[in-house]
Amino acid sequence: MAKYTVKRLLQSLVTVLVIATIVFLLMRMLPTDYYFTEDQVMKLTEEQKNDQLMAAGMLDPIGEQLLRFYGQIIRLDFGTSRRIQNGQPVVAVIGSKFTVSMRMGLISMAFSLVLGVALGILQTRNKDHLLDHVGAGYTILVNAVPSLVSYSLVLVVGSKVFGLPSLYSTRNVGESSILPIICISLSSVAYYALWTRRYMVDELNKDYIKLARIKGMATKDIMVKHVLKNAFVPLIQYIPTSLLLTISGSLLAERFFSVPGMGPLLTDAITRYDLNVVQTLVILYASLGIIGVFLGDVAMMILDPRIKLVDKGGTR
Amino acid sequence: MSKSQDELFRVVEYSAEAAERIGYSDYSYWKSVFQNFLKKKSAVVMTCIFFGLVIFSFVALMIGKFDYQHLVSESSLAFTAPNSEFWFGTDNLGRDYWCQVWYAAQVSIKLALIVAAGECILGVTIGCIWGYVRSMDRILTEVYNVINNIPMIIYMTLIALVVGQSFRNMAVSMICIGWLTMARNVRNLVLMYRDREYNLASRCLGTPVWRVLVKNIFPYLISVVILRLALSIPQTIALESTLSYLGLGLDINTPSLGILLRNARNYFLNYPYLLLFPAVIVSMITVTFYLVGNAFSDAADPRNHV
Amino acid sequence: MRKKAAKVAALALAAAMVLSACGGGSSSSGSGDGGASGGAASGSENAGSGDNASSSGVGEASHAITDLVTYESQNNEQEGFLMQNTEKSADLNVLCNVYSPLLEVNNKGQLVPAVATEWGTDDGGLTWTFKLRDDVKWVDYNGNVMADCTAQDWITGLEWVMNFHKNGSNNTSMPSALIAGADDYLQYTKGLSPEEAMSMDNTKFLEMVGIEAPDDYTLIYHCTQNAPYFDTVCTSACLYPLSQALVDTLGVENMVGMTNEQMWCNGAYIEKEYINSNSKTLVPNPEYWDKDAQRFDSVTIRITDATQAYQLFENGEIDHVSLDESTLRAIYDDEGHKYHNNLAEMRPRKYSYQMHLNYSKNNEDGTPDDNWNKAVANEAFRLAWYYGLDLTDYWARYNFIYPLHCENLAYTMKGLLYFSDGTDYADRVVEKLGVPASDGETPRRLNQELFEKYKAQAMEELAAEGVTFPVEADAYIAANSQTALDTYNVLKQIFSESLGDDFVTLNIGTYVSSLSQEVIVPRKQSFQINGWGADYGDPANFVDQERYGYDGAYYAKNYSNINDATDEDLIATYKEFSEMAEKAGEICDDMDARYDAYVDAEVFMLQHALVIPCYYDVSWELTKINDYTKMYAMYGAQNYTYKNWETSVDAYTTEQYDAFKAAAGE
Repeated sequence: MAKYTVKRLLQSLVTVLVIATIVFLLMRMLPTDYYFTEDQVMKLTEEQKNDQLMAAGMLDPIGEQLLRFYGQIIRLDFGTSRRIQNGQPVVAVIGSKFTVSMRMGLISMAFSLVLGVALGILQTRNKDHLLDHVGAGYTILVNAVPSLVSYSLVLVVGSKVFGLPSLYSTRNVGESSILPIICISLSSVAYYALWTRRYMVDELNKDYIKLARIKGMATKDIMVKHVLKNAFVPLIQYIPTSLLLTISGSLLAERFFSVPGMGPLLTDAITRYDLNVVQTLVILYASLGIIGVFLGDVAMMILDPRIKLVDKGGTR
Repeated sequence: MSKSQDELFRVVEYSAEAAERIGYSDYSYWKSVFQNFLKKKSAVVMTCIFFGLVIFSFVALMIGKFDYQHLVSESSLAFTAPNSEFWFGTDNLGRDYWCQVWYAAQVSIKLALIVAAGECILGVTIGCIWGYVRSMDRILTEVYNVINNIPMIIYMTLIALVVGQSFRNMAVSMICIGWLTMARNVRNLVLMYRDREYNLASRCLGTPVWRVLVKNIFPYLISVVILRLALSIPQTIALESTLSYLGLGLDINTPSLGILLRNARNYFLNYPYLLLFPAVIVSMITVTFYLVGNAFSDAADPRNHV
Repeated sequence: MRKKAAKVAALALAAAMVLSACGGGSSSSGSGDGGASGGAASGSENAGSGDNASSSGVGEASHAITDLVTYESQNNEQEGFLMQNTEKSADLNVLCNVYSPLLEVNNKGQLVPAVATEWGTDDGGLTWTFKLRDDVKWVDYNGNVMADCTAQDWITGLEWVMNFHKNGSNNTSMPSALIAGADDYLQYTKGLSPEEAMSMDNTKFLEMVGIEAPDDYTLIYHCTQNAPYFDTVCTSACLYPLSQALVDTLGVENMVGMTNEQMWCNGAYIEKEYINSNSKTLVPNPEYWDKDAQRFDSVTIRITDATQAYQLFENGEIDHVSLDESTLRAIYDDEGHKYHNNLAEMRPRKYSYQMHLNYSKNNEDGTPDDNWNKAVANEAFRLAWYYGLDLTDYWARYNFIYPLHCENLAYTMKGLLYFSDGTDYADRVVEKLGVPASDGETPRRLNQELFEKYKAQAMEELAAEGVTFPVEADAYIAANSQTALDTYNVLKQIFSESLGDDFVTLNIGTYVSSLSQEVIVPRKQSFQINGWGADYGDPANFVDQERYGYDGAYYAKNYSNINDATDEDLIATYKEFSEMAEKAGEICDDMDARYDAYVDAEVFMLQHALVIPCYYDVSWELTKINDYTKMYAMYGAQNYTYKNWETSVDAYTTEQYDAFKAAAGE
């Protein structure tokens, strides 16, 4: 297992490096004018632009830039931000933001796991009855209404009816986090409910359940000991990834409630051509994603001992 | 089997094909699927409604009093509530909302269906290869890891900047990203079933790979694939509206339900009908695909056929 | 099972509480907005005080907001803290509160003393002397006095601006043009290695550049030319001070990336809190030199999606909101709306919007768009636009109630310059253009007769040149802006109705992230409507932007691409105009004569429709702030200084605002 872990992590390192390289090259596909702000593009002469690009090393051959980039990664030096927060180290920019996103993400995940799985179980137990339809209705509604609209509704209801603050404020974190957390949870509750129900219904059709029933096992026990546990195996796989990626926040919810988190950071960094931030974020997300998948495999293996990682190799 | 008793015995020539059909019954997978599906009344009704909706969207544009391509803004008519002249009222520029909604509905449905179909074809094909062909597993896993871990927003921005914005680009780029989930689901199932004893036996008897895939494994996939498709359609609509919000969506001359909903959120407190009409259509599409997807996926599970 | 589930749920809930609590601290302080809770003082109670408001300003502390909350949209987030290093209004609008300049402006746009108490020139604007206050201090983030602010700090500030490796040529354009030797110093530092340039002190700079400090409280600038308007430049970011002691403390390489906690302030406020993409909080600087200034106990600048601002105002979470067209319409049309009587018309923003025609347009594929280029070079074609376009509906997008308040006839912004007899420069331009007086209903420039004449003439002349009709005109908007799309749809219709579909059709295109990079540089636009805000108080700053063959002509060079046009008549017209502008610039002794000459040049330019004036940005808002007490300059970086603002805990009424407007004489 240890050997497998090391091997797999080494492989992941290569993957991350490939990803970093691809993103590095993709971003260089944009014309160099994107390096400048709107005003600068117009006001600076070609010569001035060249001077600045030269000073920033943007005009060096791409191979040279790439080597320098690798050098930086190895030294864990992620450079400074140019546009998000001028001159600040990227690590500091991200450092000030990720805790906010992560805290909200974790709370929302706890809520949605509990609520979602509970809803899924209830739906399964009342399959084809009222509760099942209510749950299905919720799932459909959440999926049907684009999040932009449902967030607006949450915002209006929350602030008008319940008088909750509609902007995130550091002076009043508890209260002002409620609406964004609800928004983030809306769809994940539905997600967990949907798949819990799906996997549990699948499981219920299996022969061993029929046997258990015939044996006279109580429905409650069947549900908890067999169905839920087995239905949870495919679900658990994705949980570590979701946990780790709570760090990335939610683009729309954070924009909407002005949460100073990671959500809008990547988009902002891309449109402002803040390359160091883009690259660091991509490396961060990719690493977390890959680690999450690995942890998911491990979790699955623990829950279902029949699953072996070592001899199959590279299962997810 | 009862038929054969009515026939006279006679000697037939040896035929390899007939030999294959030793355990022949008139069980047809797809027939059973449809029979089971038709038993679900709600799903059948929704399917009819959906087709009705699609057909009506064409009719609606024909019977509407205004042509989408020649809409004029008239500030004095802005925010007219629905009436006999403007069946769905007017938007903030005083343009007829009826034709906008139906035109947008067509665009959205078209996009969602194309993307779903594309995802399905690409995802299932690659997923099967990925799961079945051992030598491809490593490579495809890596490809998956790389593509999946680069944030979508980077692709979308680059595509919008470098290639430009249009319906076709949007569809292609959504397919290019959407197939990943499908392929992974398919691959995991294929991995589960490929080494079952009956498949081993089939392979030993010399059944070609494609036949094993299509006849033995594919039926198990249908249920998951259909469910995934049903979810992908509302997702496409939602994703499209998010992308529009960021300015990475369709080009401005192509309205979509997502865009209408996005705009309506600014006005819906004062003029709820602007939100209502597109929201109802989106909901109908989503509900249809959810119910149909679930019913079909139940019907497609061979274990429910006996 | 039920028990277990309940346990799990309870645990999760508890965990959630703990998590949210540990980040939160106390939740008692109540969103930091004093406005909403202020009480039930009704609008009518304040109405009486409206008349004397603009003069008295202070005495109403009990009705005024003490903790102001304002907002900015997401793409206007502050990116840096070093004034010298930024040209972005998002940064300057905050930083102008933190740093004090030599001179400030008042609510009428006149220069008033700030750190400099006296200033002047004895030689027609070649040498400028400033006498500085001796009680200005630099304070740190906690309000501790760190150093005296002296003339040396202005030298350090300018050295920073002009040093290429320190400042990457931000803010260099005005000093390069106006201060002797500044451009040489820029070029000189460019030639140095980064390390050498970063370690430069002021010795070499003082040798090369025309700036000197005979003592700590006297500052002298030497200009490259007679610049009678040089004092107005002192309100711009390039002539702000930078504490040498701070540079020494933080180190040159850390200056650009300094945080709000590291910076030193000498302005009205200290930036106490900076949470990227959420909010900024300013608190008063205890050592601020202007002891009489009325300041807020705190100013919070929230970042929010502009479409939500109205809701926030309604909830009392922000103290003013500008209204978009649909919200304005909803409030205005509904007699019973709670804000129906609170609609306030804003003062014009400092930009004068012009339609810049592109004389060397390219197609999508990069080849020249001959059809358009031939058409636009034809004067009759341009004049048909000039006289024919009825922009009323377009203005209504900004100002649905009084569209004609947005009408812009001149090129230079009104309110920027005045003749010695008090006449507004822009009014003189309009007068010389000879447009009829306003009837309050139709745009003054509109002239159906002339339009038809020029249209017929253009179609005849251009058909002979092989131009196909309708001429296709392309305009570009941001892909994510529905507002822009709506506006341009209106414009498209105006083109169709005013000019006729047989003459011109307007196509709307989009760009994803950058107008200049995706549209202007590849020259894909037929015209672009941009607003120019003055950098300093002289007509040259406006008129020179359109000169032919002049490097500093921002619009002529980048947007109109006139230097690449080939039509000889067009070039001749442009050259004639440019000569007039150049001659006007040479008059330095008599300001009236100088302005008159510029007026003539501007009128010539407009009468040949080289550029078509479009609109002023006059929109509507709901506000608890009296805009007429804000600094209101057409140039410089100071209009957002939260100093001496008069406010009210309840939104001002329309009558109050009308009274403010009448008192301000607008």
